[in-house]
Amino acid sequence: MKGEVLGDGVGLVLHADDNVATALQDLEAQDPIDGDTTAVESVPFGHKVALEPIADGDEVVKYGEVIGRASGSIAPGEWVHTHNCESTRGRGDLAEEGVAES
Amino acid sequence: MSRSEPATTSGYRRSDGQIGVRNHVLVLPSVICSHQIADRIADQVGTAVSAPHDHGCAQLGSDNERTERTLANLAANPNVAGSVVVGLGCEEVQSDSLAETIAGNGRPVRELSIQGVGGTDACLERGVEMAEELVEAASQSTQPTDLGDLTVGIVASDLADSTVSTAAPRVAAFVDEVIDAGGRVVAAGNEPMLADPDAALEAVEPAARADAERLLDRNLEEPAKVGRVRRRAEEISFAEATGAWGDHQVQDLLEYGARATHDSGVALVDAPSEFASATTALASAGAGIVIHLTADGVPAGHPVVPVVKVTGDSETAAALPEDIDVDAATDPSGTLRRTVEGIVAGEDSAPERHGLTTFAIDRIGPSM
Amino acid sequence: MTFTFTGYRRPDGRIGVRNHVAVLPTSVAVSSIAERIAETAGDGVRATPHQMGTSQPDRAREQTEQVLAGVGKNPNVAAAIVLELGTESIDADAIADEVSKSGIPVETLSVRSVGGTGPAIEQGRETATAFRRDSEDVRREEADASEIVFGVECGGSDATSGIAANPAVGEACDRLIEAGGTACFSETPEFIGAEHILADRCTDEETRERLLNRVDQREAQAELMGVDLRGAQPTPGNQEGGLTTIEEKSLGAIVKGGTTPVEGMVDYAEPLPVGGGLVLMDTPGYDVESVVGKVAGGAQIIAFTTGRGSTTGNPIAPVIKVTGNPRTWDRMASNMDVNASTIVEGDSMSEVGGRVYETMAAVADGRRTAAEHRRLEEFAINELQPNELAAEGIRG
Repeated sequence: MKGEVLGDGVGLVLHADDNVATALQDLEAQDPIDGDTTAVESVPFGHKVALEPIADGDEVVKYGEVIGRASGSIAPGEWVHTHNCESTRGRGDLAEEGVAES
Repeated sequence: MSRSEPATTSGYRRSDGQIGVRNHVLVLPSVICSHQIADRIADQVGTAVSAPHDHGCAQLGSDNERTERTLANLAANPNVAGSVVVGLGCEEVQSDSLAETIAGNGRPVRELSIQGVGGTDACLERGVEMAEELVEAASQSTQPTDLGDLTVGIVASDLADSTVSTAAPRVAAFVDEVIDAGGRVVAAGNEPMLADPDAALEAVEPAARADAERLLDRNLEEPAKVGRVRRRAEEISFAEATGAWGDHQVQDLLEYGARATHDSGVALVDAPSEFASATTALASAGAGIVIHLTADGVPAGHPVVPVVKVTGDSETAAALPEDIDVDAATDPSGTLRRTVEGIVAGEDSAPERHGLTTFAIDRIGPSM
Repeated sequence: MTFTFTGYRRPDGRIGVRNHVAVLPTSVAVSSIAERIAETAGDGVRATPHQMGTSQPDRAREQTEQVLAGVGKNPNVAAAIVLELGTESIDADAIADEVSKSGIPVETLSVRSVGGTGPAIEQGRETATAFRRDSEDVRREEADASEIVFGVECGGSDATSGIAANPAVGEACDRLIEAGGTACFSETPEFIGAEHILADRCTDEETRERLLNRVDQREAQAELMGVDLRGAQPTPGNQEGGLTTIEEKSLGAIVKGGTTPVEGMVDYAEPLPVGGGLVLMDTPGYDVESVVGKVAGGAQIIAFTTGRGSTTGNPIAPVIKVTGNPRTWDRMASNMDVNASTIVEGDSMSEVGGRVYETMAAVADGRRTAAEHRRLEEFAINELQPNELAAEGIRG
């Protein structure tokens, strides 16, 4: 399943566990993604689109690994980027708490 | 000492009034990734030189600024008639912004990048065309030039006994002549200052003391790049360690890669005494010729400035007969001045005869 | 699936894919002489010019020595000349002794002893030419993929690197390791944010601790320069390209090493094992220095992924350029070796990764890479800086 290309090259799923695909072209709303899923908004080339519902706080998975956490609920076909996905690492605010604890 | 007759008529006047003793077109890579193409462009164009280096990417903050400053000021060296900046395309020190800075200094410049023109073959071809254009555009007219028109760079890459006691006094006498004639001197090698901060501050003009203190702060807490020179500087007096520029007060302290702005006398550049990177700092400061004191006999030249090799070590002079310009132990006094005047008149220095050059930029922090 | 190739068997049993004579200068003072010797002695003679000084601090000097000896011992080297001015703190004889442990012929050449630049070029040319003639007699022998040490690098990355070129090279690493070989990737600053993932893949606790420790050290270097690395990552350009978090960016970088367990981690320029599976090396992200570290570790072949189109090579090891950007492939085809951008057209990762693996096999068997055709041979040694040493408590 590694490196599955969706449709005739609309997106790339890098690992079977992933809940996002990477757009291989500039996608517009209504463009088919995978099965019944269609894009609900524009997703630029190289950006991510959700393949399944991701609840607020749930893990966003690419390369079969957690790349961040949803900061709002994400519907299939939605663009996934900094507006709705946050890093769980390298967070200055969290790091300072860590310093205070130690 | 009275001002002597103009020695030669072979200086090249630049738009900013500086006089160059060479008329090079400089091919300047903005990053290591384009340095071999820069070399090849220069190889194909008769009078062009290149300055290949390890920098321009994966550096942090102050190293990027230093690289950019050094390269921009190198292109403003009086020996440079014009520059071709060659980039890769995705580096931190971008070739187009470097070229803009050079143009802002009023110097002729062309720019291209490997990615911009579609690969190394096209870059080589187009770069050669640009360098040839600059060679054609370079003015060939010369004018009377004497010591007073020069900015002379000084670096001692070691403090061996022969350098301190034999080579340095000869160079100091020549420095006196240059300054008496109205010329300027820039010296590299920060180790003597670090070895004796008190004596160093006294040797600096009051107006430049704050800069001297900053230089000391920057370097004092770290191990020396050139440990051998630093250790030796601690064993001898400040006056002995800086004997090559005599007893002149230091007028100004320059950051690595900065241009000298003093009117006359001696300015000191914050560079370790390693020959290649020190000479780059001197060239960026505006030196048109560099005197290199070397007991080791380091043979390499520099792409932009003719380098005069002075040794106080007779064994070195005997071991490297073709690589040394002045044997301070046996050559009669006045040899250094005559050698420099000959080089200004267009004769080759020892490194120019074999044609091999090295170019390096001193670095502050680690590669990322 | 393994492959076979005809290589050059060295006295210590390792196999080279090239048969170069190396000219190794011990300092910047003689780097340009080394280059001139290589130019005048003709094809097959390769110089490794660098900018390290004649008197470096001890730790920095040791790293330079490690690199020079390692490059000399790379199995692609048939014979070596160690060139010195003669007053360097690095002992050329010691480097030569170390190189000769691999059993190849080595000579030292001192510029001061032979009478200067001109005579050194002349004598260096003669020795290199003689070495080159002798190297033609080296035993050529069939070998298979299990003897390959494959170094993986990325530079000039863009949005396509993490989705096309890097996973394709990762696929090739997985195949090589299945065939019994070694793959090595490095660039520790690019592990930051993904180190927990790599740590989970380590096969033993010692490797895991070493990895986390090296990542911490590299992160501390940014603090040394007053820069907050994480605050600036992913960069605005990365975000524009679709990278949302530091984890995503780092995962896109480490995917070039494939998916197998991490069997070990070595320091910059330390020897890499043959038949060792996936092994990490602690290097900076600066691609030229990082490639040199792996070549000094014994890698015979390098794969270098680049979205934007980096054109650099290496004097000792062939460098295979892999791009996932269709525009870069079109515009810079003469500098690229493998087109991974066909993923966009529907090629599977296994097909594209397979092309990288086949290219590795062909290059091992003697096919020249784009960088070799153009003799692009960038070389630089990572220099340990005084502020780095001071941070480790070293003053002298």
